[in-house]
Amino acid sequence: MNQLLQALINGVMLGGFYAIMVLGFSIIWGVMGVINLAHGEIVMMGAYGAWILQENLGMDPIFSVVIIFPVMMVFGYVVQRVLINRVIERPHMIALLVTFGLSIVISNVVKLRYSGTPRSVEGSMRGYWDLGSVTVPKTKTAILVAALIVMFVLHLFLKHSRLGKSIRAASQNREAARIVGIEIGRVYAITFAIAIGLTALAGAMIAPTQAVYPFMGGPLTLRAFTITALSGLGSIPGALFGGLAVGVIEVMLATFVPRVGTNVGIVSSFVLLVIVLVVRPQGLFGGLKPRSPQ
Amino acid sequence: MSRHLILDNPAVRRAGLLLTGMAVVVLAIMPIFVVERGQEGFVTNSLLFSFTQMFMMIAMASSWNLTGGFTGYVDFGHAVWFGIGAYGTGVFMTKVGLSFPVATAGGVVVAVLAALLIGSATLRLRGPYFSIAMLATFVAMREIIRIAKPLTDGGEGMTLPPYLNRPLFFYVTLILAVLVVTMTWWLRRTQFGSTLIAIREDEVGADMRGIDTTLHKITVFAISAAITGLVGGLWAYQNTFIDPDIVFVERRTLDIIIATILGGLGTVAGPVIGSVAFYWLRDLMWSHFLHYHLIVTGVLLITLVMWVPEGIVGSLSDRSGATPLGRLLHRDRGARPTTSPADDSDSDDTRGGES
Repeated sequence: MNQLLQALINGVMLGGFYAIMVLGFSIIWGVMGVINLAHGEIVMMGAYGAWILQENLGMDPIFSVVIIFPVMMVFGYVVQRVLINRVIERPHMIALLVTFGLSIVISNVVKLRYSGTPRSVEGSMRGYWDLGSVTVPKTKTAILVAALIVMFVLHLFLKHSRLGKSIRAASQNREAARIVGIEIGRVYAITFAIAIGLTALAGAMIAPTQAVYPFMGGPLTLRAFTITALSGLGSIPGALFGGLAVGVIEVMLATFVPRVGTNVGIVSSFVLLVIVLVVRPQGLFGGLKPRSPQ
Repeated sequence: MSRHLILDNPAVRRAGLLLTGMAVVVLAIMPIFVVERGQEGFVTNSLLFSFTQMFMMIAMASSWNLTGGFTGYVDFGHAVWFGIGAYGTGVFMTKVGLSFPVATAGGVVVAVLAALLIGSATLRLRGPYFSIAMLATFVAMREIIRIAKPLTDGGEGMTLPPYLNRPLFFYVTLILAVLVVTMTWWLRRTQFGSTLIAIREDEVGADMRGIDTTLHKITVFAISAAITGLVGGLWAYQNTFIDPDIVFVERRTLDIIIATILGGLGTVAGPVIGSVAFYWLRDLMWSHFLHYHLIVTGVLLITLVMWVPEGIVGSLSDRSGATPLGRLLHRDRGARPTTSPADDSDSDDTRGGES
């Protein structure tokens, strides 16, 4: 029973990370229909950002997001203007291949600059709260709380700000949005910048909880895809519940299925993905996108 | 698209074919002149080894082109069949004790069975969903091999009986490459090949005209897996050591995709030209800029798909116009992400904006 409760807590904590990690991916896919295969690499860049700031300035990862978020937003804006904007109107395969190439370039540039050695980042919140039979890790609780705050702010932004409304309009009907005077190119670029900033922010936040190395991104991209396909494109509550569901399932499997350990995580994500895609292709929650055109 | 490009000239095409035939003949007699280590001479064992790798790339790129280029199902995890073929061969040789040819055949059978099983699930998905599902299959398979320790020795890897005979592998892979390319050429001219193109261009339309699209897709997927599985088996025996991390590398899928796109997606000659060009380019990068080679590869991929998605053959020939690849390469995708993967309305082909 305690083991079950502990696994549930760990799963929810992992889910909190997945939820904040998946947001940017979900928004980019939902708004401009681009599946960003370099997503995991952006998370990795955020984590490296936290590591660099800590090594050089002794900054805590929680505060370094203040620097990482705007810097990565600029990076996202440039990438969108130079590459992504040119492939949005073209078939899916082109965007997939371009972002795939981007992911290889990013991870190898980072490897070249900082070597492949796994790095560790020290968070200021360490240790556990001991609740008798179960323990709650502090850092991961902070991530979960941060995920909830970020989602709430993002929700308010999309729902009530003028720019947020343009983003939703652009994702729902590109042509109509253009007709009513929304500058689609600009909206896309800003959306991409925000999404990349959020993703890097997630990377910086999770840096203390895991090893930071150039090729940490691949599995994260796959999980982001699974969770987004599970929960609906651009859906904020979807990202939260999808993230939590995948986190809990992975930890449960790792705890209760003998011999397989955490390696099974990626396999379970995959099985879940195929089941969801075949059974309910539109995702379990509504999102930015209206459902089928008819 | 402009007309009368260089490759549309029948004489040029005949000359190209003749040159290719001559190249094959030259290659076929090359191992006779092989010199031992330390001796003077051009044809060294390592040159034969390089050519062997190149022939493998040609075979794999051509097989990828069957699903990715002809059928329009862009497979991002194609190296999974390579891995299954390699491990199938390895397990049959070391655990069961079969001879190499029988073990490789066993590896191919395992790859085909896996393709039938996995394909029947993933081929129901379309566009990017299929691509990512295959990428996930690839990553999952690496973990499954690691978990299935009693059979595969997990992360420790397994050692096959060593057998050093470069000329043999050279000939086997040369024959394989020639056969595979000839088969794609022939397939392209059969009704089966035309059906694949029809599926790529308009799957719903093909379905409505009474074509069993699922059967065709799964068949071509299995053929493709068989070829790549065979290459994997040969590679495993040649390399004598396999473990999950050297067999299941993403770079292998990437190489296949780049070679095909560089040459010309959906053409018979494309994967051959692309593999030859890309193989020696990569070789050059390895020997001169080892640390940068993956960065250069990534930049090459981005450059290619952004600006020359039709590749060498496609941009030198208008015959590719006979097989419009618009759905994969050019055409405005119109109402895009509202398409759900298993949705029956193929809005990729809807003209105009969002409906």
